[in-house]
Order: sequence, then structure tokens, then C-alpha cells
Amino acid sequence: MNCYMNTIPIIIDDKKLEVDPGKTILEVCRENEIEILTMCHLKGVLDIGACRLCLVEIEGVNKLLSACTTKVAANMIIRTNTDRIKKYQRITTELFFAERNHVCAVCVANGKCELQDLGYKVGLDHIRYPHLFPQCEVDTSHPWYVMDHNRCIMCTRCVRVCNEVEGAHNWDVMNRGHQVRVISDFNSPWGESVTCTSCGKCLHACPTGAIWPKAIVQGQLQKNPGMINELVEKRKMKL
Amino acid sequence: MVKYKKMSKKKLATVWLGGCSGCHMSLLDIDERILDVAKLADIVKSPIVDGKEMPEVDIALVEGSITSDEHFREILHIRKKAKTLIAFGDCAVMTNVTGMRNYFPLKEVFDAAYVNAVSNDTEGQVPGHPSLLKLNDKVVPLQEVVNVDFVIPGCPPSADTIFYVLFEFLNDRLPDLGKAKKLKYG
Repeated sequence: MNCYMNTIPIIIDDKKLEVDPGKTILEVCRENEIEILTMCHLKGVLDIGACRLCLVEIEGVNKLLSACTTKVAANMIIRTNTDRIKKYQRITTELFFAERNHVCAVCVANGKCELQDLGYKVGLDHIRYPHLFPQCEVDTSHPWYVMDHNRCIMCTRCVRVCNEVEGAHNWDVMNRGHQVRVISDFNSPWGESVTCTSCGKCLHACPTGAIWPKAIVQGQLQKNPGMINELVEKRKMKL
Repeated sequence: MVKYKKMSKKKLATVWLGGCSGCHMSLLDIDERILDVAKLADIVKSPIVDGKEMPEVDIALVEGSITSDEHFREILHIRKKAKTLIAFGDCAVMTNVTGMRNYFPLKEVFDAAYVNAVSNDTEGQVPGHPSLLKLNDKVVPLQEVVNVDFVIPGCPPSADTIFYVLFEFLNDRLPDLGKAKKLKYG
């Protein structure tokens, strides 16, 4: 670390740290190997604090704040693993499962799904809320890819990747509440999109089995969300 | 010859409601460990034993979700007779594949299976014999009808998980799937 750089002192889980100002709590935690659960965070694209899994307690603040969108400030006292936070993480995960139709047994992402992994991490064994069982569409109009709204958790990672990295802005978000949907163009079938470049970045960004290539069968899905950040970093390099 | 008192042995029942019996197949996959279970418990009711009405039991493993009037009556009966009711498999815990018909009206579901099925050679019709069970509009997990004491998720749960949970309960301990790293969906 540059000795001329000003660092600020913060405390995370009783651990004293000297960190660079301007970083988010999530970045600091990841650097110091403090585990924070995330779903909507994807390295390489902007954070929006949508999933509410990275909530942390900050002393002196009544509300829980999302670690991915809150910047560190001097003398912050942050707690990431209190019972209150664990309780909310479990509730959030249960609501993900109850909102749409996550049938792991017949999902292409079974075994390679970030939502499944999250469930195991928070110790989710059953869902205390009634399932909504909404009638969701499966858009197979694209020649290579499928958009299955049953599995979508509205993390909007695909929307941000398409906009920020590919620059196509094929994906966007429609409606509010539980009727919210990711849409292609102005809610037209994906195959008829005039903006989609068929680059496949949304597919790698998607944490669940919502977007997947047609050429695979159940349980064989391979996703590489890390490639988004790799791409972003490589573009910054000056040749 | 003095026989051991049977009283100390626990009574175990396994029931098959709206599921595919895959969980029972996985139960059989505990292989020779079933002898350890048999030392501690008598299996008094099971799809592989016989069709008697369920007697009073200590542990009931219930596979499948509630899909019809018959299942509804049965689960209420099981709840009365079982000291510990365990929801066994994803269908019992969160409806899983059986719940996939919940997105459609019941008539559409029947038509898809009996009238518009590709395998129909003549005009199909929906069976309506009074002895058949009547499907409910919506499939629900066990917990929406009765109190469930423990859950084993998984489609199917692995044999190791099933044995772990059974063995803990038979030895009067409470299993913890999260700590034992035995959670699995799908």
C-alpha cells in the first residue's frame, strides 16, 4: 500500500482494519475474507442493492444497510453476523423460493445454482411462507438461449451486464411488486429483439436457471460469472 | 427362553402420498444400515409392508404432497397417530414437481393428461369413477395442513441423510441438517 495514501480506521466484527476510503463495505469484507452473502452483486457491473442479502448492522444507524452500496466511513463499527442479520438472510432466501416456481429437481441449473448454494449456506430446510405459484412464461423464441421466468429472482444482473458491458440494453424491467418481470426490448419475444447481439453475457451473469443455452440438458449447465469482470478489466488495459 | 421386551422398540411408519415413491427408493438405498434401524424400531406401516390402517407410531416419514381429498384425510389421521411427523422429500416439504400443476386450472391439467394426450388413439375422457380420489385444485405441502415436526428436503434425499435423521430420532436426539451439511434440494 502506498504510504502517502490516507487510510481510515473501521471495525468489522470486532476486527480493526485500516482501509482505503471510497470503497464499499462489501469490497472491504471480500478483501479481508469476511463472508457476506450476495445474490445481485456481480463483479464488473454496478451494484444496486436489490437482493438485500448483504445487509449489515452499523452502530448508530437504526436501519440495516446493504454492504454493496454503502461506502466505508472513518470509525464505522460494522457487524455482519449477528442473529438479527442471520434472521433476515433466512427470510430473504425463503421469499426468493416462495415468489416464483423454483423446482430444483427439474431445473437445468440443479447443482450449479447460486440460489441453491445460498439456501445451503443459510440452512434453509423448508419455506415458512405460502408459495405464490405464479403462471410464468418460458421464452424459447431465441435461436440459442432460453429465458425461463419461473426461475428468475430479479437480481437484474442480466439487465446490468447487457447495458453496461455489452452496451446493447436488450433487457429491462417491467411492472412492480410480485408482477415484476425482466423483459426483452418492449416486452416482445427475445427472438424478435432488434437490440440483442446474442453475445451470451446475460447467460453467464444469471445466478439461477433463468437464462440458459438450449444446447444443454438438466444438470449440465456451466456458467462463468467471473468472466464478466475479466472482460471489464481487460478492456481497461492500455495496449 | 426369555424374550426381549418389545416395548422399548420404537414404531416407525413410512407413508406415500402425492409423490413418485423416489424417496422410498432412496430409503431402501440405506442398504444394510436398515438392520441398525430394525434393531431400534419396528416398521409397522409402509407401502412395502401392507395396507393396514396406520396404528399409533413414534415416527412417521411422509413422502409426497397433499393433492387430493384422500391425502387430506390421510394426513390428518397420520398427525393424530404419529408422535413425530417428518416431511420426507421435496414434494412433502415444498410441493416440488407435484406442485407444477398449480400454475394451471385443474380442468386444463386433466385435459392435458387424458383428452389431449398424444398417446390417445380415440377421443379421450377424464375418468370420474366414484371410487377414485378427487384431486384438489391446488397441491399443498404437508405444513399447510398439519404441524410438521421435522423436514428432510431433497429430490430424493440421499440415503445418508435419511439414515442420519432416522438414526438420530431413534436415539432420541434432534438432527440438524444444516450443521451436518446434509441439505439438498432437487
